[in-house]
Formats: sequence, structure tokens, C-alpha cells
Amino acid sequence: MIYSELLRESGRSMRTNRMRTALTMLGMMIGVAAVVAMLAVGNGARASVNAVIASLGSNMLMVISGAQTSGGLRVASGATPTLHLTDADAIRSLPGVAAVAPASPQAAQIVAGANNWSTSVLGTTPDYLQIRDWPLARGSNFSLSDMRSAARVAVIGQTVAQNLFGGAEPVGQTIRIARSPYQVIGLLAPKGQSFGGQDQDDTVLVPISTAQRKLFGAQFGDTVRVIMVQAQGSELLAPVQDEVAALLRQRHHIAAGQDPDFSVRNLTEFANAAASTTRTMSLLLGLIASISLVVGGIGIMNIMLVSVTERTREVGLRMAVGARPADILEQFLMEAVLVSLAGCLAGILIGIACVQVVNRLFALHSLVTAGSMLLAVLVSLAVGTFFGFYPARKAARLEPIEALRYQ
Amino acid sequence: MAAPLIRTLHMGKRYALPAGDLQALVDVNIEVREGEFIAIMGPSGSGKSTFMNVLGCLDVPSEGEYFLQGQAVAAMSVNQRAHLRNTLIGFVFQSYNLLPRLDAVENVGLPLVYAGVGVRERNRRCRELLAQVGLERYTTFLPPQLSGGQQQRVAIARSLVNDAMLLLADEPTGNLDSRTSEEILAIFERLNRERRLTIVMVTHEADVAQHAQRLVRFHDGRIVSDTPVARAAAQRQAVAS
Repeated sequence: MIYSELLRESGRSMRTNRMRTALTMLGMMIGVAAVVAMLAVGNGARASVNAVIASLGSNMLMVISGAQTSGGLRVASGATPTLHLTDADAIRSLPGVAAVAPASPQAAQIVAGANNWSTSVLGTTPDYLQIRDWPLARGSNFSLSDMRSAARVAVIGQTVAQNLFGGAEPVGQTIRIARSPYQVIGLLAPKGQSFGGQDQDDTVLVPISTAQRKLFGAQFGDTVRVIMVQAQGSELLAPVQDEVAALLRQRHHIAAGQDPDFSVRNLTEFANAAASTTRTMSLLLGLIASISLVVGGIGIMNIMLVSVTERTREVGLRMAVGARPADILEQFLMEAVLVSLAGCLAGILIGIACVQVVNRLFALHSLVTAGSMLLAVLVSLAVGTFFGFYPARKAARLEPIEALRYQ
Repeated sequence: MAAPLIRTLHMGKRYALPAGDLQALVDVNIEVREGEFIAIMGPSGSGKSTFMNVLGCLDVPSEGEYFLQGQAVAAMSVNQRAHLRNTLIGFVFQSYNLLPRLDAVENVGLPLVYAGVGVRERNRRCRELLAQVGLERYTTFLPPQLSGGQQQRVAIARSLVNDAMLLLADEPTGNLDSRTSEEILAIFERLNRERRLTIVMVTHEADVAQHAQRLVRFHDGRIVSDTPVARAAAQRQAVAS
């Protein structure tokens, strides 16, 4: 039978039973919409996790001051500064350590001309940018001599620049932090959001010596909240983590079995775990979605069986006027595949709409890719063929005489 | 003299049923030449329908031979028989068997679909045939919109659309009133005369059988008589009654 005839015939049959066709398509539609949306949102979530991982910096450990647990009660790390600048120097001399940057963040009000902006001021060392893999957009980082002289210089993030200077060039301008003037010497490249959804570009970096002596010295003295440690390679992360912990226990005189007053965290591991969680989740959801594809396929098979029974006489007549069993098989198979395909196309549209909604709700940038649409089409073709085959074969195997006699 | 269109040799048909075998046809020997118009009569269960099914290549004999145009049908595959039905044979049924979703032209064209004829050529031939059976104004009507007689004429057009040589009619007037029956039979006679179309027609009614040239009677799966129709005598009888 010619394909145009098959299409014409299947189209006619689908139009004759509009409601039934629509309901049959529904299963397929929901399944495809779910799969397409899951793939897109899964990819979108993975992309945003990957962006966060990349923004963390590579091979990084974080030493955070404060006890992890206190008398069985878990308290917020970093709440009490127990780390000292000398701890950072000691860590720097450990083998396998590439760079160390102590960091003390503190909220502060910043003023530039008529604008003011409340942000986090981070006292740190020049190595901080290297550890965080954070390039400068313009200008320069503060130097070791700025550190020694506790110079009033600042490197600012994109969000701060935007809020204080609008579109104007910030490098070379003067800002006031806690009423003292600081010269902006560098502008950081945009970094985006962190895990917690914080805007990492909303920050100002100053030399830690400046922060301690001139900015927040009265509060903290020589203590620091966090020490960032970069290992020389990813394979060294675990040993360096152990070495740092051992060194600090010794320096802080913590006996074996006693809880330390600091914690060492491997953020890359944490990020990878998050990425793998995302992957597992989207795989699981995709699996559940594909179950609905199977259910949709069973729906198609069910309706096709009804249709074959209903049209037994028609099959008998077609055979009497010269249809071969293969012609009958093709006709019913084509109908099943067309229903499946139509459901799939509708499902893709619904899936795209769902992804738009999810994007808006969760600020993701998920995209239904051509690849996932192609996959949906191929799967629907396969489902239509697989579940349409049995009813179609049943029709093709009818005996013309008995089929013609069927009431 | 050309070989007969239909020839059967000791043809029999046995059905295996749970209750035991059923011998539907026994030692049927018949020859039908091209251009003959034959009526088949017999009580129900006498094997008429089985005989027609075998002639129409819808079924195969279980014993003996059946030659259609000299070809042995018993040995043919399902697809070969489908091809014969498609190109040589036309069927007319008591209940018309038109597809209700297809209009008259599409119903007539159905055999051509399976012969691989394109839609334009198909429509041309279907219109022509519908005109021959007097339905030129009903080409786009659906079967439910047509009367019984009109539906049967669509079915006749369908049976002829691929230039069938053999028309098999199973009680073609069974559902029609006597006036419409006469019209249908007149079409049969005309086709038989003008196209030299071979017609084998099953009927219950003696006056319908009178339209044929030869009358074959079945009983218990056997041919019990095979006689020329005495038309003049039959007509006198009809007038007298």
C-alpha cells in the first residue's frame, strides 16, 4: 500500500473518533511532556551546579574557625574566631599546599559620592583571587607591599561597582568604608551565585592587615574567620586536609578525642556530591516519566485492540478486494504510530511550556534541546510501533471469510 | 475454444470442528466458461457459500483442484490469492459491505488502492463506473445517505473497477424490494451481455435465478443438478402466478 494512502486512511480513522484519539494521545502526551521537561530541568540544574563548582576555585579546602560541635550541640561554624594569622602561615609551609589565604568577612556600609551600599568586606591576602580562580576584569590586585603597609586599597565586585558607580569606571575612584577613604584599584570579573544562592559579586576585598588594623581591628585583633587552602593537585586534597587538621590540633593544643575548635572542609567534594545528587534526581525523575510513556503505550494498544475488533468487517472487506495481510498490518501500525507521534508532538509543546514555568519559578536557564526532542520523537515512534504491533498483527491474521461474517 | 474460466476437479472442502469434521463440499466438478451467467440455488447448509468462498479465492479446497484461468488456486500463497481477488474477481454481498466512512467514489476505488493506482486515475475510473450504474450524481455521498439499491449499485461498481472477469454475487437482492431487485438484475444482465462478464450468483428466489442462463443446485455439499434456464417457460409461469 502506498504511504500517502496509509496516511490518508489513518488520518480519516483518527478524525472519525476524535475524542477517543485525543484520550489515547493523552497518555503519550503526558509521558513525553514529563520526559522532555525532566531532561531540560535536570540539565539546567546540573549546569547551574557546574557553574557554582567552577566559581569555587579548584582544589580548595576551607578551614573554618569555631567548634563543629559543642557539648553534643552543633553550633554554626565561623561564629567564634579561633583561627589566627599565624595558623595561616604555618599551613603555608606544609607540603602539597600551593597557596593560603586567610579571610575575614565583615558587613560594612560603603559610600561613593551620593551612593551608598551595604556589603561584605573581606580582609584577605593577594593569593585569595588565585585560590578562587577569580580573574580581575580591570585594574590590579593588591600587592604584598600593600599588605605590609596596610594600605587603604580595595578590589570590588561587579554588584558593588554597579550599585556605587552605575556604568562609570570604578577603578581609580575613591570609596569610603567605615568613613575612611579607600582607593579602588581593581574590578573583579563576574562570578555569579554561590550554592546558597548568594551573590558572590556583592563583595569588597581589602588587604587583611588593613582590615585588622584599621577597619575591624577593635573587634577581632589578629584572628581570622576562614583560611582558604589550595592544594597543588586534586589528588593531594585529602592528604593536605589531614595534614592541616593535624597541624591545627597541635597548634591549638587539642587532645586526641577532643572536639577541635575548627573544621576543615573540602568544598570540591561537597560540590561534586551536589552535582551527583542532581544527576541522580533527574535520572530518577526521568525514569518515573518514562514509566508514563509505557502506560501511554499500553493505552494505545488497548484502543487499537478495540479498533481492530470494531473494524473486523472492514478488514474482511479490504481483504476480499485484494488487501494482503501486510497491507492490513501496515494500516493499523501506521495508525498506532501516528497517534503516538501526535501525542509526542503535543507533549513536546507542553514540556516546553512546563520548562518555561520552572525556569521562572526557580531562576534556572533550562532549555529543551533539539536532542531531547529528537529523542522523544524516536521513543514515541518506538512505543507506537511496539504497542501497535500486536493489535495490527491480530487484524492482519483475521480470516477474510470469518471477518466478513462478523457482526 | 478457450479454456474455461473456472474448472474444479473432485473439489471438496472439509472443516475441522471441535464436534468432528464437517464436509462442506463433496466431489464438486464444474466448468464455467467466460461470459456465462450462473445461478446457484440450494437449501441453507448445502455448501453454496463454501463454494462461493472457494471460487472467490477467499478459501482453498481441502481436496481436489480448482483452476481459475488455468491457475491452480489450491497451491497458492495468501498473497497470490489476494492478488487474484484484486485483479480478476469482484464481490457483491447481500449486505453491500461498503465502508461507512468512505464516500461512493472512495468505496468504489478501494480495490484500486491495493492495486497501487494513484488517486487521480482512481477517481476518474470510479466516476465513470458510478455513471454506468446510474449514480453519477451521488459520487460524494456516504453509504448511510444512500438507499439500499443505490448502495448495491456502488458495490457493483466497486466489483468492476479493476476490470474483473468474474463477478461473485451472494444473494445480491436479498435485502432489496422486488422493483429494486429487478433494477440490479438488469444491471447484471447488461454487464453480462456487454462486457462478457462471467457472473456466479447465489439466490434463494427462483424468479431471481431466472435471470441467469444456467442453474446449478446444491444439496449436502454436492451438485445435484446443472441445467440451462428455460427462460420462456419461467416467464410464462411467473405471469400465470
